[in-house]
Amino acid sequence: MSAMLETSGLTMRFGGVVAVDRVDMKINEGELRCLIGPNGAGKSTFFKCLTGQYKPTAGTIRLRDQDVTGWDSFAIARRGVGIKTQVPSVFDGISVRDSVLISARRRYGAALARSRTDDVLNRIGIQDIAGKPIGLLSHGSRQLVELATVVASEPDLIILDEPTAGMTAEETSRTASLIRQLNERHAIVVVEHDMQFIRSIAKTVTVFHQGRILIEDRVEVVMNDPTVRDVYLGKDPIRPAAGRVMA
Amino acid sequence: MNDALKSTWGPIALAVVAALAACWYLPTAMELFALINATVFVSMAILALSLALVWGYGGILCFGQAAFFGLGGYTYAVAAINLGDTTGAVPLAILVPACFALLLGYFLFYGRISDVYLGVITLTVTLILFKFINSTAGDMWTIGQAPLGGFNGIPMTPPLNVPGDMTAMLMPDQIFILAVIGLLLCYIVAKLILASHFGRVVVAVKENELRAELLGYDVRLYKLIIFTIGGAMAGLAGMFFANCVFVSPTMFSLSYSGQIIIWVIVGGLGTLVGPVIGCILLQMLTNWAGTLEGVDPNLVLGAILVIAVLVLPKGLLPTITGLIRRGHDR
Amino acid sequence: MDLVLVILLQIVTSVAMLALISLGLAVIFGMMRVINLAHGEFLMLGAYAAILATSRGINLWISMLIVAPVSVAIIGVVVERLIIRRLYGRMIDTMLATWGLSLALIGLVTMIFGNTNSGFSAPLGSVAIGGFRVSGYELFLIVFTLALLAAVYAVIRFTRLGLIARGTMQNPDMAAALGIDPSKVYAVTFAIGAALSGLAGALIAPLSGVVPTMGTAYIAKAFITVITGGASILAGTLSASGLLGTVNTLGSFLTTPVLGEVALLAAAIVLLRLLPRGITGRFLRGSL
Repeated sequence: MSAMLETSGLTMRFGGVVAVDRVDMKINEGELRCLIGPNGAGKSTFFKCLTGQYKPTAGTIRLRDQDVTGWDSFAIARRGVGIKTQVPSVFDGISVRDSVLISARRRYGAALARSRTDDVLNRIGIQDIAGKPIGLLSHGSRQLVELATVVASEPDLIILDEPTAGMTAEETSRTASLIRQLNERHAIVVVEHDMQFIRSIAKTVTVFHQGRILIEDRVEVVMNDPTVRDVYLGKDPIRPAAGRVMA
Repeated sequence: MNDALKSTWGPIALAVVAALAACWYLPTAMELFALINATVFVSMAILALSLALVWGYGGILCFGQAAFFGLGGYTYAVAAINLGDTTGAVPLAILVPACFALLLGYFLFYGRISDVYLGVITLTVTLILFKFINSTAGDMWTIGQAPLGGFNGIPMTPPLNVPGDMTAMLMPDQIFILAVIGLLLCYIVAKLILASHFGRVVVAVKENELRAELLGYDVRLYKLIIFTIGGAMAGLAGMFFANCVFVSPTMFSLSYSGQIIIWVIVGGLGTLVGPVIGCILLQMLTNWAGTLEGVDPNLVLGAILVIAVLVLPKGLLPTITGLIRRGHDR
Repeated sequence: MDLVLVILLQIVTSVAMLALISLGLAVIFGMMRVINLAHGEFLMLGAYAAILATSRGINLWISMLIVAPVSVAIIGVVVERLIIRRLYGRMIDTMLATWGLSLALIGLVTMIFGNTNSGFSAPLGSVAIGGFRVSGYELFLIVFTLALLAAVYAVIRFTRLGLIARGTMQNPDMAAALGIDPSKVYAVTFAIGAALSGLAGALIAPLSGVVPTMGTAYIAKAFITVITGGASILAGTLSASGLLGTVNTLGSFLTTPVLGEVALLAAAIVLLRLLPRGITGRFLRGSL
C-alpha cells in the first residue's frame, strides 16, 4: 500500500520542552489507525503540526509525496486533511445545516453541495437538529456536528481527536459504527482513551509517550504489552525523571 | 429557497418601498436646509451600514472607518475640481478608499494581527491622515488645481452635475434622492453578499476563525475582501457628505470614527437596519442636544455609549425584536 | 557640540514625556488587561485639578504632585465601581464604554470650564547650555519621571501590594483561592493607574496648555506606546517610549513637528507588524 501521510523526524519544541520528539509515522491510503497515550504525551501537538497550526521545529510532513511542512492550515486542509479537534471547534452562531453546507461548498458547486449536506446530515444522524444554532446544542451533539462539518468536504484523511469525549454510551457506540463506516471512504486517525472503543474499531495502534512513538503494532499485541500497561498506570520504566516533568 | 426569500428578498422589498416613500415625500415636505441636513443623515447612514457589515458580520472592529469616509470625500472634491465634470469623480471616490482599504487590510490580515492591535492600528492610521491633512495649508499642497487647504478643507467642493454635462448642477432635492438610492443600493449589495456563499464564509470566519481555516478557507482573503467592500461604501458616504457640506479634516477625526461605532453598537451589532436606524436617531438626538443651552453634545453621546454597552450589549434592534418575539411566544 | 547636547536633551525630554503620559495606562493594561480609552481625559482632569487648586491659593507643587493624583484616583475608583467592574473580561466592551466615558468627560468639562485654553506657566526658569537655553522645568520632568518609574518598580517588586497584584495578574482564580479578593486588587490597581494619569496630566499642563480636549492629543500616543511596549509594565513602557520618543524628536528636527508625529505613528505600526505582541512580547520576557 502507498503512504498517504508520512512524517519523518517531526519535532516540536516549546522553549526547553520537547512536546513531539523525532516522530516517524506512516499512514496508508484507507487505513484506520488508533493513537493512544497518556495526557501530555504530545498527541494533540503532533496533530497541530500535521494540520499546520504549529510550524514544526524540525522534520518533514509529506502528503502523497508532496512536502507540506510549514504550509498554512487552510492549504493543508485543501490537500485533503480534516480534523475534529479535542475541544469541539464549531460555528456557534450558525445553524447545523449551514455549518455543514459551508464545508461542502468549498469542494462542490451549489446544487451538489446542498445534496451532499443532506446526505452527510443523514449519515451522521443529526438531520433532526439541522435547523438549530450550534451554540444551543449539548456537548455530545456538538461533537457530531463538528464531525459532520469535517466529513462534508470529503477529506482523504480525517483526524479525530477524542471523538467520544463527553458522549453517552449510546452515542459512543453510534460513533464507533460511524467511524467504521467512514473508513470505507476515508483514511482515519483516531485518538482515544477508551480501550473498549479502540478494540471495537482499530487494526493498528500507535502508542505515544513523552513525545515519541513507544510502540506500534496490531491491537492485540499492544494491549498485552507490559510497557504500555505501565505507562498507563503511571509507572515509567524508561525515563522516570522526565516523566514527572511531563506530568 | 423559501428561507432565502424570507430573509433576503423580503427585507430588500421593504427597503425599496421605504426608499421610494422617502424620495417621494420628503423633498416636497421639507425646507431646503432640513433637506440638506437629511442628505447628511443619509450619507452617515451609508457610513453606519459599511461598519455594520465589516464589524457586525465580518467581526473586524475597525476604529478607522472615518479614514475611508474622509478619503472618499477628498478624492471626490479633488477629482471634481480638476476634471470639471463630476461623472468621473464619483467612481474615483469609491475606488480610492477601496484601494486604500485593500492595502491596509493586506497589511493587517496577512500580518495576522490580533483584534485589539487591529483596533490600535486602524485608529493610528486615521490619526496620521487627520494630522497630515491638517498640515496641508499653503500653496505647496495642491493636487492639480485643487488646494487641500489644511485646517480649512476645501470650501469650494463642487456639487454633482448631470453626467456628461458639467453646467447642469443637481439641486439639493435631486442629491437627496441620489443619496437615498445610494443607501438602498448599499443595503441590497450587503444583503446579497450575506446571502451568498462568500457571505456565509465571512460570518463563519467571524464565528470561529480556526475552524474556517481547518476546513480549507483562507480566512485572510475573506476578511480582506469584506474590509475592502466596507471601505468602498464608506468612500461613497464621504462623496455624498462632500456634496452637502464640504470636505475638511474633521472627516478624519476620531470623534467621527467614534460616532460610527456608537451608531452600530446602539443600533445592534449583527444587523444591517439597526445601525442605520441608530445612526439617524442619534444624529437627530445630537442635533437636538446641540440646540440646548449649556449641554454639550459630547456628554450626551458619551453617556449613550456607556449606557448602551452596560444595558443593551446587543443593541436596540435585536433587543426590541427579542422582546416582541418573547411576547409572541407567550 | 552644544547643539548635539541640546538635541540629545530634547530626545530625552520627549522620551520622558511619553513614559510619563503612558505609565498610568500601562499599569491598568498590564495588570488588568483593560484598555482605558478615557486615559486622555484622566490626564485632562489632573490638569484641571491642579489649575483649580492653584487658583484657590494652594502651592503649585502641592497642587501638581498631590491634589491632582488624589482627585483623579477618587474619580478612578468611582469609574471602576460604576463601569469597569461590570465588564471584566470583555475587552472590546470595556474599550467602547471607556470611549463613551471619554466623550462624556470632555462634554462635561467643556460645560463647566468652557472651551478655552487655560493653564499656568512652567516654574523653575531656564538653564544655559553653551549658547542655548533649556527649560529647567523640562530637566525636572526628566528626573521626576525616572524617580516615578523607580518608585513603581519598587512597589511592584518589593511590597506586599505589588506581590498580590503580580499574583492576581498571573492567575486571578488562584489568587482568589488563596483568600485575596481580586475585585479589591483591581479597584486598587485602577485607582493607582488613575492617580498616575492625573499626576502626569498636571505635570504636562504647563507645557501643553489645558483645554477640555487636550486628552485626545495624548491618548493615541500613550495607547501606542503601551501596545508597542507589550505586556511588561515598566520594561515595555520604557523601551517603547525610548524608541518612539527618539523617532518623534529626530523626525521633528529633520522635517516638521507634524511629520515627526506621523513618523512616530508610522514607526509604531511597522513595529507592531514585526512584533505583533509588542517589544516585551519578544524581548525581555517576564520582566516587570
